[in-house]
Amino acid sequence: MLSVKGLRANVGDKEILRGLDFEVGPGEVHAIMGPNGSGKSTFAHVLSGREGYEVTAGSVTFEGKDLLALEPEERAQLGLFLAFQYPVELPGVNNTYFLKAALNSIRKARGEEELDAVSFLRLIKERLKILHLDDSLLKRAVNAGFSGGEKKRNEIFQMALLEPKLAILDETDSGLDIDALRVVADGVNALRSAERSMIVVTHYQRLLDYIQPDHVHVLSKGRIIRSGGKELALELEEKGYGWIDAEGQAA
Amino acid sequence: MNGDMPTGFASWLAHERSCDAGIDWLDARRRNAAERVREQGVPSSRDEGWRYTNLKGLLEQGFLQPDEPITALQPDDLEEVLVPGLASHRVILVNGRFVPELSLLEDLPPGVRVSGLASLLASDPDVLKDRLNAVAGDDLALFAALNTAGLDDGVVALVDRGVLLERPIELIHVSVGLDEPRVAQPRNVIVLGAGAQAIVIERYLSLGDSLYCTNCVTEVSLGRDAVLKHDRIQTESPSAFHISGLYLRQDANSRYLGVNLGLGARWARTDLNATFGGEHAECDLQGLYLAGDGQLMDYHLDVDHSVPNCASRENFKGILYGKGRAVFDGRVFVAQDAQKTDAAMSNRNLMLSESAEVDTKPQLEINADDVKCSHGTTVGQIEPEMLFYLRSRGISAPLARRMLCLGFAGEIIERLSAEALRDQVSELVGQRLESAPLS
Repeated sequence: MLSVKGLRANVGDKEILRGLDFEVGPGEVHAIMGPNGSGKSTFAHVLSGREGYEVTAGSVTFEGKDLLALEPEERAQLGLFLAFQYPVELPGVNNTYFLKAALNSIRKARGEEELDAVSFLRLIKERLKILHLDDSLLKRAVNAGFSGGEKKRNEIFQMALLEPKLAILDETDSGLDIDALRVVADGVNALRSAERSMIVVTHYQRLLDYIQPDHVHVLSKGRIIRSGGKELALELEEKGYGWIDAEGQAA
Repeated sequence: MNGDMPTGFASWLAHERSCDAGIDWLDARRRNAAERVREQGVPSSRDEGWRYTNLKGLLEQGFLQPDEPITALQPDDLEEVLVPGLASHRVILVNGRFVPELSLLEDLPPGVRVSGLASLLASDPDVLKDRLNAVAGDDLALFAALNTAGLDDGVVALVDRGVLLERPIELIHVSVGLDEPRVAQPRNVIVLGAGAQAIVIERYLSLGDSLYCTNCVTEVSLGRDAVLKHDRIQTESPSAFHISGLYLRQDANSRYLGVNLGLGARWARTDLNATFGGEHAECDLQGLYLAGDGQLMDYHLDVDHSVPNCASRENFKGILYGKGRAVFDGRVFVAQDAQKTDAAMSNRNLMLSESAEVDTKPQLEINADDVKCSHGTTVGQIEPEMLFYLRSRGISAPLARRMLCLGFAGEIIERLSAEALRDQVSELVGQRLESAPLS
């Protein structure tokens, strides 16, 4: 589904990703862990097509297409979804209008019919339940004045609505208390399926107690330096990143 | 300038026939206004209020005053003019003249009088003696003076004390293209008695894309405790010139909630003047303007806090694209005695192109020492972060830009008094932005 080979990317003059190789198959959940500055968020952003990153080498193939050649909206239309670490507030942009525009843009790009107002609202109400969200949220401006927890839940709610093939959760756990984390994780788990893959980017092992990954990768200095099963996350929790880093340095 | 009208404006007043209406006080006011026009002459860019606005394009047109009542507008044309779903007491003016057959005033409740200005001058001029030109005053600015000197027709809306009018009064000023470019100079007089409450929607629009000029003046007088919601929506033809003067006077405890939208015309000049006649009055002026290629939107606000304990808000937002231009010249004056004045002025502009231009100049002149006054202005672009967020959800870049612009404009649009109006304006703004070049 996703194949990343030898990916190198700069921010300004600084090289952040230094030859990253990474494969995701259908239905797999991969966790990418790593200390601050290891390139986790850069990787998520490069995949989603955010400006400000220069890819200098390597390739990313998604669903058989050259992902890096696509505009951000084309990636989304193809089935990629990024849950933002810091969801952006859009004052004045009504949440319902936004969700409908997003869903119908994606449907249109896929040659599906746009949803009319009635079926759209029905779908939205159904998906709201997954995240235990109140429908008053629909009347508000996107993320504007939302609490940290509401913003993260709104991200997962969008994911539930847009039904991506590959979701990237960028530090979805940051800034959440344990209850909010559980709600978000429950939402994510409800969306797991044999066709939907996920990349969970996180600094802490804590999130992985709730979203159990099939594979865990450790990113350091722009490269994956170790991969394993979910026990690797526990080992990291126990020994800290210093352990891996030291090994990385030695290697 | 001895005795003669400045070249360019002479033709506006060529038919001074209505001057011999035989109403002495009216004739005197017209003569005084004509004198004011002669005194002032044509302003140049050295005049502070005209620094960024060139009158040459306007004067070149040689607009003529309409000389025949216009009957070209048929009931069938109304569909194009009305806002779907908006129930109102409706007044229709065509090229500045009241058209009773197309207006809808049968259901006015007791204590509310809405009529054409010319017919009221003919039937009951005394009603207007203390009201017409009462707020604008004798010391008229150039275009208000022209409007008064050429005074011909318009609308008068009088709401008696204590009357709560539910349905809005809608003043629809329609311009219909004529063989020669004409200037219409309608005069609107709105008076709310003590404790009265009303909604007035004032719209300026055209059938077709023709060249014409509107030079309107609206005088609003609010009695003690009166509340007026006042939407003013300018969607003139893209070839039109639009000049609009609002003169507002508020008695104690009154509230004025005004929304000014400048969405059409190639050249639009709007002067908003507010004064307080009593304490604890509140004046809220909201505005939104769009300017694209070849368009100029020019706003001048003058809010005069001459009595204590009054509040005013001036909140104007602009979206500029292509080679669009805008001017925001806002002045809040606080007199020495006007303690506890609370005034906040803001002008924010969203620039969608590098060749668009805005000159913004908010000014506070504060002569009292115990006041709360602020002003702020911003000129910025669409935030790349916001754009990326929308695009990452599958929304194309052009649609994402439009959504963000509409979000920016929404703060003002949502203040319009009726949902039907908000829907129509949102759609119109969306359409305008859809055709806007992106750089």
